Amino acid sequence: MAEIGLRSISKSFGSTEVIKSLDLSVSNGEFITIVGPSGCGKSTLLRIIAGLENQSTGDVEIDGNVVNKTRASERDLAMVFQSYALYPHLTVQQNLMVPLKLRRLSFLERFPIIGWFMPNRSSKLDEIVSKVQAASETLQITHLLDRKPGQLSGGQQQRVAVGRAMVREPVAFLMDEPLSNLDAGLRVHMRAEISELHRDLKTTFIYVTHDQAEALTMSDRMAVMMDGEILQLDTPHEIYNNPSTIRVAEFVGSPKINILKGECDEKGNLNCFGTKITDSIKLAQKGNVSVGIRPEHMQLVSSKDKNVIKGKIVYRENLGSDIFLHLTVNEGEQKIIVRSEPSNVINTAVGDQVMIGWDEQKVMAFDVDGENITMQ
Amino acid sequence: MTKSRSHIWFVSPAVLLMVVILILPVFVAGTFSFTDYNLGSQDFRWIGWKNYESLGKFSSYKKMFTASLTYVVIVVPVSVLLGLGSAMLISSLSFGGEFYKTVFFLPVMATLLAMAYAWEFTLDPVIGVINKFLDDGCSVGWFYKFFTGSWLGINPTESWYGGLCNDRMPNWLGNKKYALGSISFIGIWQAFGFNMVLYLAGLTSVPRELYASAEMDGANSTWEKFKLVTWPMLGPTHVFVVTITSIRSFQVFDTVEALTRGGPSKSTYMMVYAMFEKGVKQNLIGMGSALTIVFLGFVLILTLTQVYFINRKVHYS
Repeated sequence: MAEIGLRSISKSFGSTEVIKSLDLSVSNGEFITIVGPSGCGKSTLLRIIAGLENQSTGDVEIDGNVVNKTRASERDLAMVFQSYALYPHLTVQQNLMVPLKLRRLSFLERFPIIGWFMPNRSSKLDEIVSKVQAASETLQITHLLDRKPGQLSGGQQQRVAVGRAMVREPVAFLMDEPLSNLDAGLRVHMRAEISELHRDLKTTFIYVTHDQAEALTMSDRMAVMMDGEILQLDTPHEIYNNPSTIRVAEFVGSPKINILKGECDEKGNLNCFGTKITDSIKLAQKGNVSVGIRPEHMQLVSSKDKNVIKGKIVYRENLGSDIFLHLTVNEGEQKIIVRSEPSNVINTAVGDQVMIGWDEQKVMAFDVDGENITMQ
Repeated sequence: MTKSRSHIWFVSPAVLLMVVILILPVFVAGTFSFTDYNLGSQDFRWIGWKNYESLGKFSSYKKMFTASLTYVVIVVPVSVLLGLGSAMLISSLSFGGEFYKTVFFLPVMATLLAMAYAWEFTLDPVIGVINKFLDDGCSVGWFYKFFTGSWLGINPTESWYGGLCNDRMPNWLGNKKYALGSISFIGIWQAFGFNMVLYLAGLTSVPRELYASAEMDGANSTWEKFKLVTWPMLGPTHVFVVTITSIRSFQVFDTVEALTRGGPSKSTYMMVYAMFEKGVKQNLIGMGSALTIVFLGFVLILTLTQVYFINRKVHYS
């Protein structure tokens, strides 16, 4: 268990700045997710924490000690790679034994042939085998111990990779998109398993992903990272409901939040293309704004008894549990998505003209710089 | 439904060529190996296994097997390990790699026969640059001390180099003691650049993440990473390199023909040279054919071993 701190970390490859003066504190036993689009620098950040990459400036701290000069192998962190990086020539059992052998056996005990004659080797090996046995029972992979990684399915390889990380009880786990090579069903299942593992081990987890669903479901706190910066660091609930900027709002949530051009006047009236969106919202400033309404906070309404937007259905996406209606509004100028219960929209078809209402309490507004100016 | 026979037309040119220029000659050689046929003579006699029996009987053939196997046993491991070592060094360079690749690959591109003549001048006992260098070294204090081992407390006149300084420098190609070593040295010089290129290709296919993973698992020295990742991941390359080098070493001919002609006293009498000497120079087609069949047997064993290993041991999926 460990606290991990990043103090104004930056990283450049040549003239490209990948990470820009980034600070992050991860507390003991916390599950923190770093989520962002491809190329935002999140994997580089994880490799810097691991010690596989050197930061250009700044400090990495583990339990308050600066470890900038400590090699990856001596930081006592474990990492699960996207490709699992299992040793293909070793069986599952041998794979799980590698980290323990490298740490517990001396150089001579590990040396080919000479090692066989070292006195303490066999007792140490017995200990290692029993550790491996215990870890494989936890992960339910005992029946796979004699197989080679090439004979395992993706999900099984993933378990072995996790097993290799946990067998030596590291102070923290680093996970670099560990689920992105799995099929959709297995990914959802492994999400739950990794969360459970975190509850059991009570160790610090730093989990990197581009999948916001993984971030939202698994983490205690999540950091949304873009262009080498952390835009917002908060609980999944806060990030979803109160994004700090329009980029965070657009990145988190599926389908994407609807953004409409609007303006607000002195009285707190928020209008989009001539329609009043709300008059109860409190905003920090007046003028042109971007209005954000999540798809599930909009619905089709039947009458004109309150403020509505007229739209035309251009596409109907049926997911079984929900239907996503893709609509054009403002005379076809803008597109929005409305998420509905199937029973509410059973009679609609592509090409229909419909009225759209929304939940005024959930409307968000962002200024021209993209900052959230909605006041709670 | 009528079955199309067009596939026969597609494969027949290749099959025909293979039979005519590869398989048929092997059968012809196999047949001749049981005769005493001489090229140009009108008839021949069937002599059964006699040619093969003489392979075991005459000392010159025993020397041939010794020379060929010694050459293979020296050249294969040294050129394979040198190839691997240089490939790993070159792939670790951040710049200058292309230069070293070119330098080490030059002997592979050059014609071995032409290079053999260049080596003949270099190794010449009188005018050769190597002996000139060693001769001059005798009067250079530190050089003499280092190579005689006198810095280790060895009596300089009793050491190999000290002895040469007092007498004269060796006749590298004309002395029975040195000839096979010299030929092997040229063989290594010529072969390791090729192995290096094969290993460079093999090294690029080792996934980078495995090194990162080894580092996280606690492998903090180059040796541990080599043992855990590089060596096993190069498995298919090892098998290929060892097989191809062994076959090429069995085939050594140019240097022997140009430099020693199998001598002195048959110490460099290699198989392919023996085939050439018996079958072409002395016109003993029967004997030459028997040698060819034995040679083919060696190559076949090597190839089958490779196929076995490739299929069973080194592909990990």
